[in-house]
Formats: sequence, structure tokens, C-alpha cells
Amino acid sequence: MKGMKITLLSGYLRLGLITVLIFSGLASQAQSLHAATIKGEILDSRSNPIPGVIVRIKDSPYHAISSIDGSYQIKNVPKGNFELMLSCLGYQEDSKNIVVDVEEAVVQLDFLLTESTTDLDGVVVQAQSVKSEIETKGFAVEVVETQKVALQSLQTNDLLNRTAGIKVRQNGGLGSRVDYNLNGMSGNSVKIFIDGLSISTYGSSFSLNSIPPALIERIEVYKGVIPAHLADDALGGAINVILKKGVVNNLSASVSYGSFNTLQSNVNAAYRDEATGFTTKVSAFYNSSDNDYEVWGKFVRNILANGRYDYVRAKRFNDAYRSVGGKVDLGYTNVKWADQFFLSYTGSDDYNEIQHGTYMSIPYEGRFGTSQSHVLGLTYLKEDLGIKGLDVNFTGSLSKINEVVTDTVKWNYNWFGEMSLGLDGNPILRPSGAQQGAPTMNHIDRKVATFRAGATYEINPNHKIFLGQSYYSMDRDEQDFMKSAVEREFIGTRDLQKSITSLSYELDMLQSKLKGSVFGKYYYQGIDRMDPMLVEENGTTTRIEDRVKSSRNTTGYGAAFSYRLIRPLTILASAEKAVRMPSEGEIFGSPGDNIVENLGIRPEISDNLNLGFILGDFEHRSHTFSFTGTGFIRDTQDKIIQQINPRINDAVQTNPFENLGKTKSIGFEGQVKYAHRNSFRAILNVSKFNSQYNTKFDSNGNVYANYGQQIPNEPFFTINSSIDYTLRDVVKSGSLLRLSHYFGFVDRFYTTWLEIEDFRTPRQYINDIGATYTFPDRKLAVSVDLRNVFDKQVYDNFAVQKPGRALYVKLNYTIGNFR
Amino acid sequence: MLNINTYRIMFKNFNLSKRLLSLGMAAALVSMGACVEDDVTPDDDDDEIEADRWLTLAGAFMGETAGDGNGGTNIYAVSFEDAINPETEIDIFNDGEPVKSNRTARLQVSQDGGTLFNIAYGGENGGEYAKFDIRGGASFVQEDVTVNISQYAGTSPRWSKLYNGDKNGIAVNIANLAANNSEEGNPEEEFKYYRGTATVLDLDLQETLISNYKTYELPLSTEEELAGHAIFRLDAPVLNQAGDKLLIGTWMRKYDPATGERETEWDRLGTKTLVVDYPSLENPTLITSTQADGDCSGYRSNVNQLADDGYIYQATTRNSNGSHILRIGSNNEYDNSYALSLDDALGLTDTYVDAWRYVSKGIGYALIRHGEEDQGYVVRMDLNQKTASIVQGLPDDPDVRFNQFQSFLVSGDYLILPISPLGQDGNIYILDSQTNQVTKGAKLINQPGNHFIGAF
Repeated sequence: MKGMKITLLSGYLRLGLITVLIFSGLASQAQSLHAATIKGEILDSRSNPIPGVIVRIKDSPYHAISSIDGSYQIKNVPKGNFELMLSCLGYQEDSKNIVVDVEEAVVQLDFLLTESTTDLDGVVVQAQSVKSEIETKGFAVEVVETQKVALQSLQTNDLLNRTAGIKVRQNGGLGSRVDYNLNGMSGNSVKIFIDGLSISTYGSSFSLNSIPPALIERIEVYKGVIPAHLADDALGGAINVILKKGVVNNLSASVSYGSFNTLQSNVNAAYRDEATGFTTKVSAFYNSSDNDYEVWGKFVRNILANGRYDYVRAKRFNDAYRSVGGKVDLGYTNVKWADQFFLSYTGSDDYNEIQHGTYMSIPYEGRFGTSQSHVLGLTYLKEDLGIKGLDVNFTGSLSKINEVVTDTVKWNYNWFGEMSLGLDGNPILRPSGAQQGAPTMNHIDRKVATFRAGATYEINPNHKIFLGQSYYSMDRDEQDFMKSAVEREFIGTRDLQKSITSLSYELDMLQSKLKGSVFGKYYYQGIDRMDPMLVEENGTTTRIEDRVKSSRNTTGYGAAFSYRLIRPLTILASAEKAVRMPSEGEIFGSPGDNIVENLGIRPEISDNLNLGFILGDFEHRSHTFSFTGTGFIRDTQDKIIQQINPRINDAVQTNPFENLGKTKSIGFEGQVKYAHRNSFRAILNVSKFNSQYNTKFDSNGNVYANYGQQIPNEPFFTINSSIDYTLRDVVKSGSLLRLSHYFGFVDRFYTTWLEIEDFRTPRQYINDIGATYTFPDRKLAVSVDLRNVFDKQVYDNFAVQKPGRALYVKLNYTIGNFR
Repeated sequence: MLNINTYRIMFKNFNLSKRLLSLGMAAALVSMGACVEDDVTPDDDDDEIEADRWLTLAGAFMGETAGDGNGGTNIYAVSFEDAINPETEIDIFNDGEPVKSNRTARLQVSQDGGTLFNIAYGGENGGEYAKFDIRGGASFVQEDVTVNISQYAGTSPRWSKLYNGDKNGIAVNIANLAANNSEEGNPEEEFKYYRGTATVLDLDLQETLISNYKTYELPLSTEEELAGHAIFRLDAPVLNQAGDKLLIGTWMRKYDPATGERETEWDRLGTKTLVVDYPSLENPTLITSTQADGDCSGYRSNVNQLADDGYIYQATTRNSNGSHILRIGSNNEYDNSYALSLDDALGLTDTYVDAWRYVSKGIGYALIRHGEEDQGYVVRMDLNQKTASIVQGLPDDPDVRFNQFQSFLVSGDYLILPISPLGQDGNIYILDSQTNQVTKGAKLINQPGNHFIGAF
């Protein structure tokens, strides 16, 4: 019973410090490490649990709110004597004194509140969980909590895929390439951050593919409108992964093994020296899989020597994946000069075989990528720096990322992993010389320096100002070792700098009924292009470096508001003029493809609007319901496209990229949550949008036939449902058995502009089930997951089948406590 | 005066009931002020088209931008007599049948007009050859058996049907164009050449299978290779009159050996054509023109054509002084005494042939653009006299483009092709090669951003 509550409670974070930090936009750096934990449950006179009770340690920032099952938990409480104050609308206030005198103490304090008979028309103190706090600031944001599912054999991308409005599209099994679609916008319109820093800081080896949910505190998904503290040129939205900050003096580890020889493991530990504040955190992961799952159907065929098809069922044979990584933080917490000061090192390495290109109809042998990254980081956080109300934060890193793509096998292979033989019995040369293209051993080295800094000044409890600055620079060198020595001398470099200044004003009025912010952002981007070339002077040729710099800047602005109309109904509205800076290829073109540069290209601009509501929680006896819904528009102008050039066949240079396209995405998403006591929980979400071609007139003023047509190859209608049921005292008293079921539906969609059945994906129905057994001592939990129960052919991308039925077993072990 | 005979010879078995119609057409032509000449003695060649032969029209949908043709291809078949009838309206984009191809389909048609051959270009089924029985309108029935040539020629193959009774198609490819001292070659070596591996593949169109293929390196002269010249692409295969040699067009590239970079402008070599034995595909040799320096690989249509005089005529592109028509004799060598410079003949600069077609009696038509303009023009060429002139009476609009044009139809002395400005309605046009006369055929309904890519 208690263990369950703790699991539930653990979704609610250390509110004391974090809540304040979130308000200041410092969420990603939040950190607080102390020893004791105070917890318990709050019941009414009929022994029903009371959620939403604010439990506060008097004269301190430490507080918590009771969850659906009435339980609360305040972590990291220092030693001392405290008074615990309880308040809740409709109940009489209560308080108790406690003494915390031992480190690592867990103090159990239960309360019985009596219904209030007095009229509570006055001030109501309102506090929320971090999740609900973020979700009621007006943004269209989803906070994905990893707590419970971290015990299961699920990957981070699975969690995101189950979230309303997000479609994760993966090109195969564990480790394969992933694209994220957020409300109909995808590709580089969606930016991903780890603790507020661009994921490209870490390289592909430390990505959402490799980081296990157990190392993640939560994931914030901002759709269309991005708060000032996370400013970036993210046209469609941002996904911010908050890594776990660690529970003091706690060690947890897990290992999962299952189908396709898939091993996923991680370990996570933290220590704080009470006397000095010296704090250490260590986490590491190792994943590997053969990904040798079976594929079949019309895209899986061996081509015979005479060109005829032989349809087969086959196991993928060149798809193994391995990733290893770790992070060490050393520093001080809650000392006089810093709330947090950390130096960190993150290292990671991966190896990823590539089975096929865009479609699985042609299998590859021997194509693979590797990457390594070394990242040094610095984090500093201080509240009330110098003057009261001034909070500052800084997160920065220097990284070195090396990636190598190798593709040197020059023969055709079939789905049995055998060399294809031609009519004459000889192996057949790949049409481009290697599996995917020309033979390559391309080394891409990147050096990234990035930081994000912010300062919040609280004028008074109702008004705050935030000023933020982010900076990102990347130097990229490329060397293809399959090229001749001379050719390698003449490969150019591209260096990118990007900086974003953001300013926001936040208000919190009418007893928190009205919350909101308005913000402006200034974007700057500069790209240096260096191409070596030979010049002839006085009969001698010398190598010179032709350098061009292209820079541009623009501004964006937006606002987000939430207003609580009546007690259970909150209206949310947010809008932003969002920006995406052109990429290096879009600016400089591609000499190899005869695309000329366009130094005058402008950023893509999108007017993004979200309008939503949160309705609930409604409680009836032991049933709890809540509803949320959001409608959205993404109206993209100046979309960067390349016009067709009738001279494409010509040797002369052809059209550059230009700001000529328009697209528009209109849609909605909705979510229903239901809980019965603390044993049954169901979440259903639906997302549907129409992402359409929005260029209306041709040069003659006629309306394009595909004006308003759904843009192909985007899944536009998805449903996710998650159900879990927790049984107590199974086999052993004090144990927990959590049963879960996930169902996903993806409607069919056309993959090309030509709307014919051959180019349409099938409707998909995905079922996963899982069981997690937590032993009474709360140290050990075992989970079994059966994915894709009915062994359906599942596709995220056209003609790329994902794994069929798969079984995984996972052991979780914690010294300290399960969070 | 235009008389009925002029019109009549467009096809045989011209029935009486249609005569009234054609009279009306003739009147329309006169009123349009079209060029009017005395009638020409009908030529009773067997290559005249029957009235009930299917004419399949192809149109390309736009993808993201107007005219890119990346939205797919629709096809629609009408009888030949309907096609040349100005009363007919054809709405291919609404009524036609889509061809299963991610990007613009690469279509070919049987000589009798009854079967369409397609090799899907790009996508999951790229390189897949399929045969369609043409039943009229949007009815195209695909044969069960397909064959995929992508292992040999890639998922975006360049191919052409041979005019040998629809028996064979030839697909060609160059793989892995790289320096001899690249890592895969011998990095310790001095630079000697950039070379790729050529594949020539014979596809049996009737049996639907690959019947033969050969691969080889195609060395240029030592000097040319040391300078960085290389064959980048092969295309536009054609069978000679004797039927014993394939002639295949080349697209040349040049690298700077000092930097390994592709050059954009260079002193071009003479136009080169690859000659291989047929059907063995053995003995690859390269022949070189002294008369022109462009490439002879064409783009979406075959620029190498066997004429009734036994010569293979070829149009060059990317030529340093405008496109030329060259010819190769029955000895399978360039006739270096012959060249038709379109710049000279038309008095223009930088003419560029997007597609061309030999019709008969030394007359051919080319779809060209010139100078900096993108507008397409139709040019009538007298290959014997080495003269050329822009055909009048056709749409004169800056949005007329022929860059993705794939196919003309020839009936006796007549050339039949669809013309419309990009995204606007157009017509089938019937050009009389002997009289230079222009007749409008069926009206073609278009949609913004789309264009017609050929008559098959």
C-alpha cells in the first residue's frame, strides 16, 4: 500500500525549490539534495483520501501536495524541528510538529482532516505539482513523467509516442533513425533539448534512442509556442528532456533482456556530504540489440538474377545496435555561494548498423555508423543572488563529437544476407558502388560550444521579468577516407553560430486565476563557409581558402495565458510568431547538385496558435476524471523550398532555395484521464490534424489543385490509450503488482502526392501489455513486457516494418528507495 | 487552299463520316491564319497510324512547386482519331489513371500503341518494370509479372525501348565514379583517372525478364583521363539499322585532378558515344565526334534516333556553342563531315534541345530553348539541308516548357505532340513535316502547376 503511494507520489517532484525555479524558467537546472523525507497520507472523516492538500513546512520553501490517493511526500528535508501545516479548500487547516534528527530519515505522518464548515471565500493558497504547474502556464505543453514506466522495458521514444500530439517515426528497431512529428510539423522544425541544451551538443550516441527513461526525470513537450527560457528557432515545437537530478545517497540499477537479443541496462547513484555540501552523481547506461526481427510482406522480396521477385519472410541481418554512455557530476549543492554548482562530464559511444535506406525493399550489408561524444558541462544556479528576488542560472558545455559512416561493401545482398548473383553467376555491383551510395568512410567531427543563461527578477509575487541568452556554435570538419588524398585536401568546412536573446514578463494575478507571460526573442545566426581552392598566380598554383560568411537575424514574439474560469475549468491560450533559421545547405546550396547559394534567404516564419482547456479533476466518490483539449493552427509562411528549374538537366547552376512555400496545419488533440482510487488509471488521447499545402495561386492566378491537400507522408490521426491496474499484497504482503496495457492506433495515410492505394499505409493497431511486480521491501521490482502482442506488421514509415511480437524481462534494484 | 487530303493523310482508313468533321477543322485552321499550302502527295508508308490506334497521353502532377512533376503521373488513352480531333476534350488529371511511380514515370509504348511499358523511377518499387495493356480511357491493365532491374541499374534507372518490334529494352548505368587512387582503389598510386563501372542491361519486354547484362570500365585516352575527364552517365541507347550494335549516349564530367573537385566549366572533349555489340553487349568502344562537344545522353526522351536513311542522328546538349545534330553512319562511326548547329541555323545563341524526334524524309522536330530564357519552342529541322526554323502557330508563352518532355508520336510525315503552357490548358498539335503546317487536335484540360509530358 505504502509503496504504491510512494510510486504515485514520486511523480510530484521536490516542490520546494523546483516550483520557484520553474516559475523563473529554470526548470532544467533544478536540483536539491537533502537527507530526510517526510511522507504520509491524508484522509477525510470517512477515510477517503484527499488529494490536493497543501502540506508545507512553516517558514520554508518545502511543501508538497497530496496526490489522488491522498499521499504526500516532502523530500530532502534538512535536520531540525518543523511545523507541518496543511491547508485545503473545504477542509479545516491542520498542523503537526515534527523533529528530524537522523539523516536518511523517513518520517511517516498521516493526517485526518475534517470538512470545513466555514465559508472559504477568502484567499485560497494554491500549489501544484511540477507537471500541473507547467501545464497551467498557458502553453500547449505536455509533461511526460517517466517514474512508473521506468520500471518497464520501455524506451524514451515509446513514452513520447504515447503522448497526445506527438508521433515518433522510427526507421526500424532499437537505435534506428527517429523523426518527431509535433502537431503536423517535423524535421528540423522540432528541436530537442537535454536539460535545456540542444541535443546536438551530445551527438547521436547520447540521444532519446539511448537514454533510458530511468535516467529521465520528465520530458516537457512544448507545441508550437515555446517559453522564453527554452528559446530556440524551433518552428514547430520543442522537446526538453530533464535528466534525473538524483536522490541523495541512493543507488538504483536495472537490467532488461528480451527478444532480438536486446539488453538494456542502467545505473544511477548520488551522494551528498552533509557537512560540506559536496555532491556527486553518477549515471550510466548500456544498450544493445541484434534487432534481428522478422519482416515480411510486399516490401520483403529477393530479386532473382532475371529480375523476378521472390517474396520471403526474413530476419533483419544488418541492424545491430550498441550504445554505452555515462555522466558524472561533481559539485556543491545548497551552499552559501550556490544552490547548485556542478562540473560534469558526459561520455557516450554507439555503433549502429543500417539495414536499409528510406524503404526496406533493398537490404544493405555492412553499412554502419559509429559516434562518440565527450561533453564537459558547467551548471550554476543561485536564488536571491545579491538582492532578494534575483535568481540566476547558467548551463554551458563544450563538446567534441565524432561520427563515422562506413559503407564500403560493393555488392548486392538479398534478404537472406547472401550475395545476390547475376545471370552469369557473378556478384552484382551495387548501382552506386556501395550499399546506399558511393563507397564512403565519412568522418564528421564537430566541436560544439553552447550555453544558456537566465536571470529572473521578481518585482513582487505577481510580476516577474526574465532575461535569457543562449549561444550555440558548431565547427564541423568532414573527411571521407574513401576519397583520394588530393580530394580530402579540398573538403570545405562549415561553422555555425547561433544566439538567441529572450525577454519575458510573467504575471500571476487574481489569486493565480490568471497566469501568463509575454515574450520576445531575438535570433541571430551566422555561418562561415570555407572551401579550399587552387589559384594560379605568376605561374604557380597555391591552395587558398575561400571564405564566405552569411548571417541573418530576426525577431519573434508570443504570449501564453491561462485563466481559471471556474474551479475545475481553466482556459489556455498561447500564440507565437515562431522562426526557423535556414540551414547551411539552404543558404549555400550544394555545388554537387548544382544548387546555387542564396545568401539572402530569410528564416521560415510560422504563426502558431493554441487554444485549449483543462477541465477537472472531477471527483465522484473514489472516481476521478479530467479532460484536456487543445485546438491549434500552424500557419507557415516563407517556407524554404527549391523551385523547379527547367535547366536542371543543364550544366549551369540551377535554382537556389527560396522563401516561397506555404503550409498550414489545423487540428486538435484531446485527452481523458480516469482514475479509481489509486489502483486503476486510464488515459485516452486523440490527435487529428490536417496539414495542408497552402500555396493557393499559380503565376496565372489559378488555384492549385493541391491547395488544401493533405501533405503526404504525415500520420495525421492517432489514438493512444494506456490502462494500468495495481494489485496489492500479491503472493506476499506489502507487494505490488501493476498490470498495464497500451493500445495505439494510427490511421492510414498517403505517402506521396499521388493518392493511390499502392502508396498508402495500412491502418495500424498496436497492443502492448506489461506486468511489474514490486517486492515488499521496495528494493526489487521485476517487470515483464510483451510488445506488439498480436505480431502485427507495424510501420512508422512507408515500407519500413517495425518489430513484431517481442518479450522483455526487466529487473530493477534500488538501494535507498524506489522513486 | 487546304484540302481534305492534307488532313486525310494523318491516318489511314479515314472514314467518310469524319470527313465533314475534318472539313470543319480545315475551316477553323484557315480562320486561324495557319500556314496553308497545297496538298502533298500522300505517302503510303506503313508507319502511318490507324484511326483506332490508342494514343496515350501522359501528364505530370506538381509536387511542392509548380512544374516539378514530382506529384506523380497520370495517363489517359484516346483513339488516334479522337486525339487529332479538335472537338475532343481530354481531362487527364481528373479522368486519367495514375502510374505507380513515386516521381515522374518513365514510360515507353509499343509500336502498335496497345501496350505501355513503365519502369518506376525512385521509391520503394524503383526499378520495377511493368507492362500495361491499354484498353482506352483510364483503363490500363497491368500484367501480373513484374521484374526489377534495380540491382543492376539502380532504383532510378535510365532506359529505352529498342525499335525492334518491342522485343527489348536497354537500361544503362555508371556506378561508383571514383579516382584510381581513392581508398578503394590504390591510395599509394599516382593519379591516373576517374572511372566508373558501366552496366548495360538487356530487358526482354515480352518475356518480362532480364535476359543479359554486362559490366565494364570505359577508359578514355590516357591524356583525357589525366586531365580529369570521365563518363558520368550513360543514357539513350539505340539499335543501329543492321541490328548488331547498340549506340549509347554519354554525359561527360570533368574533375580537377589537383583538387578532386568537379569543374563547372571546362574545355569539353568531342561528343562521345558508346558502341557495344548486340545482343552480346560485348566489345565496348567509344567513338568521338570532331564536330561538337556536347553530351548525347538526353534527359527524359531518347536523343539518339535511327532515321530512314540508315544514319543515327543525335542531338547534343550542354554543347559549348549550342546544341548540334550529329550523325553516325552504318559503320558505327561518326560522320564527321556532318553537323547541324542549331545556333547557326536559327541565328540564336545557346540553343538547348530538351527533346527531339526524327519524322521522315530528312525532317525532324526539336523542342528547344535558347539564351537565358526558359520558354520552349518547337523547331523544324531539315537534316539534309542543315536548316532549321521555329514553327509558327504554336503557343508562344513564356510558360511553355519542354524540360520533362518524354514522347512524341509519329504518323507518316506527321508529328503529334501535346503542348500547353505550364498549368494552362493546351492542345494536341499535329505538325506536317513536309508542309510545316500546324493543326490543332484535341483540347487538353490542365490544372495549375501541372504539365503534359508526352503522347505515346
